Formats: sequence, C-alpha cells, structure tokens
Amino acid sequence: MTRPNSKDPCHGVPRRAILSDLGMGFTGLALGSLLHDDSHGASPSPEQACHFSPKAKSVIWVFLSGGYSHVETFDPKPALNQYAGMTFDKTPFQNPLDSPLHKKRFRSVPAEDINVRDVYPTIYPMQVGWHRQGESGIAMTDWWPHLATCVDELCFVRNMWTTDNDHAAENQIHTGRHRLDEPQPSIGSWANYGLGSLNDNLPKFVVLGGPTRSDTRQSIDSYYLGPQHSGVPLGLDGKRPLPFGSRQQQQSADEQLREYQLIHALNQLSSVEYPTDPDLLARIRAYELAYRMQTAVPDAVDFSQESPHTKSMYGITDEDTRIAGQRLLAARRMVERGVRFVQVFPSSYGVWDSHQKLKDNHTRLCRSVDKPITGLIRDLKQRGLMDDVVVVFCTEFGRTPGLEQRNGGRDGRDHHPHGFTIWLAGAGLKRGYVHGATDELGYHALGDGHYVTDLHATVLHLLGLDNRRLEIPGRKRLDIDRGHVIHEILT
Amino acid sequence: MNRTSVVLLISCMLFQTTFVVKAEPPTSHYLQKIKPVLQSRCWACHGALKKESGLRLDTGASIRDGGDSGPAIDVQDPDLSLLLQRVEATELTERMPPEGEPLTPNEISAIRDWIASGGQSPANERAEVDPHQHWAFLPPVRSPLPPRTSGRHPVDRLITLKLQEYGLKMQPFASPNTQLRRLYLDLIGIPPTAADLQTFLGDKSPDAYEKVVDQLLASPLYGQRWGRHWMDVWRYSDWYGRRMVPDVWNSAPQIWRWRDWIVDSLNADKGYDQMISEMLAGDEIDPTDVTASHATGYLVRNWYALNPNDWMRSNVEYTGKAFLGLTFNCAHCHDHKYDPITQRDYFRFRAFFEPLGLRQDQVAGEPNPDAFQEYEYSVLRKIVRIGAIRVYDKHPDAATYIYLGGDERNRLPNTAPVRPGLPLFLDPTDALIQEVRLPVSAWYPGWQSEIRETNLKIAQQQLRVAEQALLEGESQNEPTRLNLRAQRDAAAARLASTQARLAADQAEHGDVTPKRKEPLAHRAAHLEFQSDLAQLRADVAQAAEQLAVAKALPDTEKDRDKRTTAAQTSWQKANEKLNSAVNSKPQDQANKYTRFSSRFPRTSTGRRRALAQWITSRRNPLTARVAVNHIWARHLHAPLVSTVFDFGRNGQPPTHPRLLDWLAVELQDTGWRMKQIHRKIVTSHAYRMQSLTPHMDETAVALDPDNRWLWRANVGRMEAEVVRDSLLSCANELDSTLGGQELENVDALTTHRRSLYYSCHPELDGKSEFGELFDAAEASECFRRTRSIVPQQALALTNSHFIHRISKRLSEQTWAELVACGRATPNAFVRSIFEQLLTRYPTPQELAVSLAYLKDNAATSDSTSLRASFTRAILNHNDFLAIR
Repeated sequence: MTRPNSKDPCHGVPRRAILSDLGMGFTGLALGSLLHDDSHGASPSPEQACHFSPKAKSVIWVFLSGGYSHVETFDPKPALNQYAGMTFDKTPFQNPLDSPLHKKRFRSVPAEDINVRDVYPTIYPMQVGWHRQGESGIAMTDWWPHLATCVDELCFVRNMWTTDNDHAAENQIHTGRHRLDEPQPSIGSWANYGLGSLNDNLPKFVVLGGPTRSDTRQSIDSYYLGPQHSGVPLGLDGKRPLPFGSRQQQQSADEQLREYQLIHALNQLSSVEYPTDPDLLARIRAYELAYRMQTAVPDAVDFSQESPHTKSMYGITDEDTRIAGQRLLAARRMVERGVRFVQVFPSSYGVWDSHQKLKDNHTRLCRSVDKPITGLIRDLKQRGLMDDVVVVFCTEFGRTPGLEQRNGGRDGRDHHPHGFTIWLAGAGLKRGYVHGATDELGYHALGDGHYVTDLHATVLHLLGLDNRRLEIPGRKRLDIDRGHVIHEILT
Repeated sequence: MNRTSVVLLISCMLFQTTFVVKAEPPTSHYLQKIKPVLQSRCWACHGALKKESGLRLDTGASIRDGGDSGPAIDVQDPDLSLLLQRVEATELTERMPPEGEPLTPNEISAIRDWIASGGQSPANERAEVDPHQHWAFLPPVRSPLPPRTSGRHPVDRLITLKLQEYGLKMQPFASPNTQLRRLYLDLIGIPPTAADLQTFLGDKSPDAYEKVVDQLLASPLYGQRWGRHWMDVWRYSDWYGRRMVPDVWNSAPQIWRWRDWIVDSLNADKGYDQMISEMLAGDEIDPTDVTASHATGYLVRNWYALNPNDWMRSNVEYTGKAFLGLTFNCAHCHDHKYDPITQRDYFRFRAFFEPLGLRQDQVAGEPNPDAFQEYEYSVLRKIVRIGAIRVYDKHPDAATYIYLGGDERNRLPNTAPVRPGLPLFLDPTDALIQEVRLPVSAWYPGWQSEIRETNLKIAQQQLRVAEQALLEGESQNEPTRLNLRAQRDAAAARLASTQARLAADQAEHGDVTPKRKEPLAHRAAHLEFQSDLAQLRADVAQAAEQLAVAKALPDTEKDRDKRTTAAQTSWQKANEKLNSAVNSKPQDQANKYTRFSSRFPRTSTGRRRALAQWITSRRNPLTARVAVNHIWARHLHAPLVSTVFDFGRNGQPPTHPRLLDWLAVELQDTGWRMKQIHRKIVTSHAYRMQSLTPHMDETAVALDPDNRWLWRANVGRMEAEVVRDSLLSCANELDSTLGGQELENVDALTTHRRSLYYSCHPELDGKSEFGELFDAAEASECFRRTRSIVPQQALALTNSHFIHRISKRLSEQTWAELVACGRATPNAFVRSIFEQLLTRYPTPQELAVSLAYLKDNAATSDSTSLRASFTRAILNHNDFLAIR
C-alpha cells in the first residue's frame, strides 16, 4: 500500500479547497483533509504546517505498564551480582542514597507525613544473564532473544528519570506532569493537534489495547486542546472496532447509504440557506467521513489480508504472544494508512509491576512482548517504513537495585523513578546506539539525565514539531513540560 | 481557546526573515522589535507590577533612566549597557530573564542596534497602566444608558451603542419558531413540543413571548438545565481515584447531594451570593440548616485522600477561577506575573481553608454511616452511599506555611505561619474573622431532631420485625423458636436502650433540669449494657440454631462434618463473648453511653464565612462580573470576556464593558437573583434576533465576520446533555425526576433520566459514550464547553441502538396519531416530524426531497422502517443539533 500524500506529510489541504469540494455530491468526493473544528470553523488550523522539515510521519508509542526492571532488560548491571546481598554503603561506589539527586528528582504523591514507602538498600542480584548483542555489542539481558537479533536497529536511552514513584507515573510519562501538578495534554494529543492528517478516514491518534484502566485516561487525554484531539481507542474485534462504527443489522447497506444520502441532501438544502455557516459545512463533511470510516476502520484492523508468515512473525499464532502481536500488527497497519500517532499497550495495566517474583513475572512478560516487538521492527524495515516511522518502547519507571523487603518480600524490586531505560527506533534515529547511563548500581541516571518530556520533545522534533512552539494562549506551560530534544540520538 | 492566534504565531515564526527596515523613523524599530520583547519577557518584574531593582522597562524613557544600578543603556558604548550585559550573560544567576529561554540572538542584536542608533522612543509613549487601575479591579458602575433610539431594553441600548461605533445595526427578530426553540433549549434544555409551538403561535397577546419565558423559568426543568452549567463552572465531579479497584481517592460517593442542592437552589432562585456563601461556608453561615452543609460539596469535591496539600491547592485555584476570575494558582510558585497577587497572598488565601476536614453525617430516614474513613496507606477507601458528606473546621489551629517552588517540602525556614487574609491589592483591610459558636445539632449531629426520630424509628421497626418473625415462627422447631425469641428480646432491649440514650441526651442538651442528668445517663448506660448482653445472647441462640441445623443434616451430606464443626466453633465463640461480657462491666463507665454520632468541635473558626462575605460583598469588583459573564456566555453562545476564568491583566478585556457592568450591578441590585438576569437577557432584541440568514448584510459580514459586536445572534450547538435529553424528550421518553444518587454511564443509552444525573468524573467511565462524543463536561476543569464536530458524532446518531429505538418509536407514534385523526399521508407525516424535531415546517424543496425519499424507496423497504429511517435523518439534520 502506498501512503497517501507521502511527499509532504505536513502539507494539509487548505480549508478553502475542502469547502469547494462540497458541491460534488455525497459519494464522489476526493479525500481531502479532515474537517473537525470548533466554532472557529472558518479559521485555518495550526495543523496545516510543521515547524521544520520532519524526519518521521508517524509514531508507534509502545508502553509497558507497571514499570519493567531496567537492570533486567536493557541496562544490565554486573555490579549487582558482584555485591549481591550487601548494602549500598558496603560497596566501593558512592552510596546512591546520599546523592542530592534523590530529593532533586523525586516527589512523593502522598503527603510527607503519610508517605511510608521505604528505600531498599540491600542489593538484589540480576535475575537473568546478559550478553552483548549484534555488531554494536549492546548489552541486554537474555530475556529478549528475538529483540537481540535486531539490536543494531535500536537506540537506547539509559538515563531516563521521572519524579513520581507510584503508578501515576504512567500518566506522567504521557503528559509530562506529576500527579500533584495541573494535568497537561498527552504526547499523542499534541502530535494530533500539531500535525495534518494523512488519511481522513481514520483518526490521527489511535490507541490500541488501552488505556489500560480508568485512571490512566490521562495518558491519551487532550485536556485544553479539546476532545477532538484525544486518542481514539480502537478495539481489535473486527465487528466493532469503533463505537457506533457499523450499521444496525436490520438495516441493509443500501438502506444505510440512502439514509446518508437523504441526510446529505437535506443538509445541502440547508447550506444554500446558510452558505456561511462553518459548522454546517463541517457537519456535512463529517457525515461523509463517518460513512467512509465504517469501512476504513474495520479494514485497518482486518488481518485477513496478512500472510501467515507475517502473522507468525508477530507471534499471533502463539497464545503467549498473540495479544501483543495483534496490537503491534494493527499498529503497523495504522501507520501504513497514515495514522500519525499509535499508542499501543501490549500488556494489561500494571502487570510489569514486579514487587515480588520478579523472575517469574519478567520471564513471562518479556516472552509475551519479545517476539511481537521484534516482528514489528523487522516488518517496518522490510516495508521501508523505518524511514517514516518512529517506534518508542517505554515504561513509567525502573525498578530498585535493592531488594524490596516490604511484606517479607524476598524476590522482587520496588518502583524506581531515579533511573530507567527506554529505546527508540526508526526515522531520524541512530541505530545500534546507546545514549546515557545509570551509575554502576543502576540507581541514578547520570549527568542531567532525561526527564520524560525530553522524550516528548524528541519525538515531536522528529515529526517536525517544536515542543516549545506548541502554545495555547492562556495556558501556561513550564520549561519542564517542554523538555529538550535529545540531539545525541538523532542522525 | 483562540486557535487563530496560534496559527498566526506559528506563521510569524515560519516566515520570520531578517530584512532591515531603512527609511522608517528610528522609533518604529523600538516599537516593532524592542518593546514587544521587553513586554513579553521583562515587564512582569520590571514594569508597573513590580519595578524590581527600581528598574522599569515599559517606556524608552524609563529604560534610559534605569534603576538602582544606573541607566540600563549606554548609547555611546552599547556593549557597556547593563540591559545588554544581563540578557547576554551566560551565568544563570546573572542572566535575564531568569526564567525560561534566554532571548534569541536576533532579539539581542535588535536591542544592540537600537541602543547603537541612540535608543530613541516616541516622545508621547505611555507607561504601563498601574495594575490597580485594571478595569476588572475597579468596582462595576452602572453608567447612564444611552438614548432610546434602539428601543427601551437596556441590553439593546448598550449593544447598539457599540454597534453604532462600527456602523453596524442589529438584525430583525428571528422567526417565532426559531425564537421559541432557542428559548426552550436555552432555559430548560429540551425543544418545545408541537403543542408548545401551536400554543405559542396561537397566542396573539403582546406578551406571549414573556409568558413563555416566565413559564420556563418557573419549571423545575430550568434548575436541571442551568444546574449542569454551574456544575461545569464549579467543577462538579462524582467520586474517583481508582474506580476499577474500587478505591475512593477524590471527591466522595455522597457528593450528589451537592448537585441536588445546586438544582434546588436554582429552582428556588436563591441569590448567587447566598449560593457562594453556602458552598464555601454553609456550615458556618447557617449551622442549623443541614442542606446548607450539603452545599460545601463544592469543597469536598476537591478533596484528595493522599495529600491534603493537593486539596488546599484545588480549593484556592478553583475558588479563584470560578468566583473571582483570578488565577491565584499562578502565585503558588512565585509572585503572579500579571496580577498584583504575591506568593504571600496565595498562602494567605489558602489559610482560609487550612482548618478543613471532612465528615459524614447521618441523614434522616437512613441508618448511621460509620465515621469518615481517612486515608491510610494500602487500605482501600470504601464507597459509602449512606449519609451526607460535608466539610467542617477540624483543625482550628492548623498553620499555613509558605513553601517555595510549588513543592511543600521547601517550607520557608524560620518564618511564622501566615494568617488568613484577602488579596491585598483588592482589599487592604483585614478580613473580619469571627469564631462561630455552633449549636449542639451542628457539633453533635446525633442530636438533630430528625436524626433522633430516625434512630427511634429504626429501633421500633427492628422490634416489630422481630416480633412478627417470632409470631410466624410458632410452628418451627425448638432451636429456631429459641433463636427468634432471643432476637425479639434483643430488639426490645435495643429499643429500651435507644429510648434511654435519647432521654439522657435530652437531659444533657435539652430542657430537662440538670439534676436529672446523672441518673438518666446512668440508666442509659445500664440499658445499653443490657441491650449488648441481649444481643450476645441472641448471637448464642442463633449459633445454637445453626448448630442444630448442621447436626440435623443427613449423614449422606458430604460436608456435614465440616459444617457441624464450624457451627460448633461459632457457638463456642458466641458463648465466650457472652460470658466475658457478663463479667466485664467496669464500674467507672457507669455513666458512659454510646452517642448517636461523633461529636465534633463546638466552634468553627469563621474563616470561610469571612471569605464568603468578602467574595459576595458589593465592594468586590469581580464576583458579579464573573457571574454575569458566565450567564451571558450560555445564553448568547459567546462570553463578553472570553477568558471566563481570568479577568486579570493577562485575560481579555470585555467586548462590551458597559453592558458587562450594567448586568453585574443589576445582579447585585436584584438581590443576586439569577432568574431576573435570565429574563433581562432573553427578552432583549439582541437575544431574539436572527443569526445566519440566506442574505446576510455583506457590509456587516465584512466589518465584523466573527460577530464580536453582536449585530446578529450566534449559532449554538446543543451540549452533550441537551442532545441526549432532547432525543428522549422528542420520543416522549424523558424522565425528568429530580435528584438522587448518580447513575452509571453504561446505562445512559438504555435508561431515561436527565443527563445531569449520570456519573461525571475524570476517569475513563466518567462520560457516557454519547457524552464523550458530544463534548460532555470535563470534570477536571470546564469553564467553557468545547464544540467539536467529528465524524464519530454522525456514527452515534445513525448507528446506535439508541437512535434506532428513538426514531422507531417517534415515527410509529406520529404515524399512529395521524391514522387516528384520518390524516395519515406522507405529506402530513413529513410535516409533523419536522414540527416535532425541528420546531418548523419543511421548505418546499425539503418537502419534495422528503416525499421522494418515502416514495422512491417504498419498493425496497417496508413503510414502517422507511418512516423510521426518515425520522432518523431529520434527527441528523444540522438544524436538530444547531441552535439557530
């Protein structure tokens, strides 16, 4: 499939062109630009222009909920094995608990006097082996045998940090704000707001497999950007991927088409009476799009057109990897069709949260994602989409280098906002590259490290947007909301 | 949100080129390139607001004069200019501005060029206006009305005044049909029925319109409609936190009583001042009025289990935004950048709320809820549905400390706590805070007469039930009869105990002579002990019955042994409890009996009452203006001040300042009655005129395309709630029952209550599927609704079960009525559907298209479903959702 408008992804169709389309009758319209606006319908929208030449057209943002252990995935720490069982102060390294970074970066949600979360200073060894992989020789653990084969495509950032040590951090990595601060639009909704459409028959910001729970709605929400910029969750159930997306059974396809034509005819008569009503024109357009979305959306999640080879590459044929595989394959189909931002939750809410039995947990979960995500990378590559798409693979925080001892715990790690690892791959990014590090014990992100909004700034930058210029009058954004582009990882 | 300006901003940045202005006067460089930069980056600290280091940068002259360190610029040697040195500094401690990005090289070189060319500025340049003189900080004044050239109505005269300035004039009245539809949707949130329309069209009296206005304002549907508007502004939210768990972290499960209070207050036309006062301090203003305490749901809504600081921050932020149009929240981390609100002011404002705590009181006719569950790490907070939630001053001595950077851990060291106080720039006098001595019923809610009656009735009812059970159990076996008898005895003892406790309470708080206090308390304690024993005996009897039942099981029953053993254990435990109770009564407890509720502090600090008095006093310049702006915005689909929650210096000025002030003073003068203001607005020509027409006045369109000056009416769109309520109402299915616990959104398309009664909160299921698509209220903040037009709305209105059910029912009802009166023709059907759904009749072209649809498809579809489909199409007509 060729991607629509592939030359210049940021060039939207000017609104006047859309309005002049309206006389063409209901079914004969050429695809134009999605017209969904508020009462200022007649004004041009900022979606028409990028800030500068983009490197990527779309983003697949893969989020693993609960906080995977950085030291047992993409930031192995042999020192944990060497000093296992010792407390931090007995190692030759600087005691990370004495670092001023502790207070600087971390902020508790519960008030100080009722915050009872402990720190765990007893070093817990890595629960898995690790090896250097690929030509780049990047270290990762043995729980990612498939991904290891394409490590030379990936670009790791090992000095991420966040400020919340509880699961509101899931919202924080998407909105850039701590739970105690005023919420902000999510990264996907900014992309949605800032970019033109490449395919009017699909939403620009699609969510697959989430949000994972009612209180994580923030991670796809748009707040003051308006609800039309929120993520649209699509189900992978072919029958009803979109709310109200298919006609009632008692109505035939013909009958429905005629009903839409009648609505169109009546609203057209209205538009003769109110030729300057922007809402009316927008609504006429919305009905045309709605009619086509009924087939475009199910088509986008219809895997019957995919070869058995592709399905197996994503692990769809294996029960353990089926769910993640389906969501990631659907993500590829979305970006192929020009969806701008696909937010994928391959796993359920909080499942990576391994306070106990970390080894069992991560053995199982890494396995559930390893093959599908590798399938995605390979598939994007073989289709030439790695030049158009950015893949982000992330979680809300890391896990403590120390053993969590709460409730008699013996085999798990607690939440760890002070350092964690994410990776990216695709358009405009270095390949087989590692940026940043945590200290020897995997505790603190070294250097300035990267707060979560640095990731936002980087992704938006690749899409041709300057996070600093995405401003809404009357809405105060702080420096920390805007972040800094991680230039070191860009080609 | 003003998207246009975003676009302009972006295009300016895109097309920014560095061409040199040559043949222009030297001051134009200053005005175009220098002043805007200084204004946006420097004036907050070096302007009329603060003048830090004695330096103001708001005029060329003040720049040349400089501040404490001397002149800011040196035209002889520009590089020696302090201004340049500071903006170019690389040390963060030196660099100006201290926050945000440094100035760009282009901006800096423009400043250098300006200095080098002599640092000139216009001779008549005006300094930035003193913030205290900002329009919204001065009291509203009802200025004399302009001459009556445009009718008598004050609103019209004030709007015409503005229109004349621009050579515009008002459009004529909209059609009576349009006016009526507008009025119904606006005042009660559902369209008029065909009968309503006929009555109105048939009423030839000169005040026919005004009669409808009065009738609608008197309808309880008005309170439901406008209640939802104020729920937006006041940030109503049902409980949330972790709904999936469930675990209550925010707001409260009984918060709906506040919603009902809003609806009832509006229907009763309670003054807006009174409403604010009750929401902030109902417990202090009228401690005997239980419903006034429900109003404090306004503060309960902000509650956050994990962090009381968060609660305080929301109280400050939303009291500022909703009532005062002030963005106090900006002064949380630093002095306000635009308004004269210092960080200290912020914390003084917070101190009004500092003593707050929550409690849940028993409600008449319901059992007593347990005490309010405070947060405890890793303990789930349950959803309690009984009782009423309210605030009270729990910690009268709670201290408010200033902290820095918005982080409560950075408390300013060695400073005394701040006292509650008003923002000094608005009111330099101290708030008059007087402690409130509470009546017994307020600090001991178990003493309220309705609660006393309730508790007595509950005990009496329990005894009746137990006696009835005993009567019916005559023929049962021995263990069962013994149990029933023991239960009856326990209920009787409980009633006796309740009566004795009530009598003892009466002796303590009522009119009984004090000397009888002791013996009555003693008696209450004694009977309560007897009641406890009776209950334990009943428990033993019940366990004995269970044991007998288990033993009577046939040997073949596979878990007979297990059940027998379990029953045996229960019986033993019950016996042990009874025995230990019999032997345990401590002598020193002889006068202590259990009260009917918790007892709370006997005084309230009066802080919130003082705050409410100030907010609602006539000398407050903001409150009435902010309120009428909200009201106006909802009637006319556009506010007079577009930044509805920010009337400060960073907000937008009013389009019609005299109109805004006239309405504000009118609100105050009529005892803050909102119905008066509604009446004033909706009877104006400005409200009743045409919006868009086929032949628009082209001059007017060219002069004022956005209708800023109100030469025509604006076109509105039904809000999410109005869409759903109107669909139900058209199908004659709307259930307009008032009040009650919130309903779940999953049922919103299958049940028929008004939309404001369905759950509303910021989590995933906080909006119905319909609400989500049609821009229902954002529970976290919603001062203005978004009005999106997205394809998914079309899908909902064509494909949902809901719309199919509604259109089927409507078309069948309509057809049946036509059949009944012998007029069942396609023509009559089309006309009737247009009349019912759009409050108008089809144009000849519309009629032709409609009849053709019914005729041409008759061969392929049956006529019933064809009529339903046609009806659905009319529900999808733009004129259904649009408010013309």
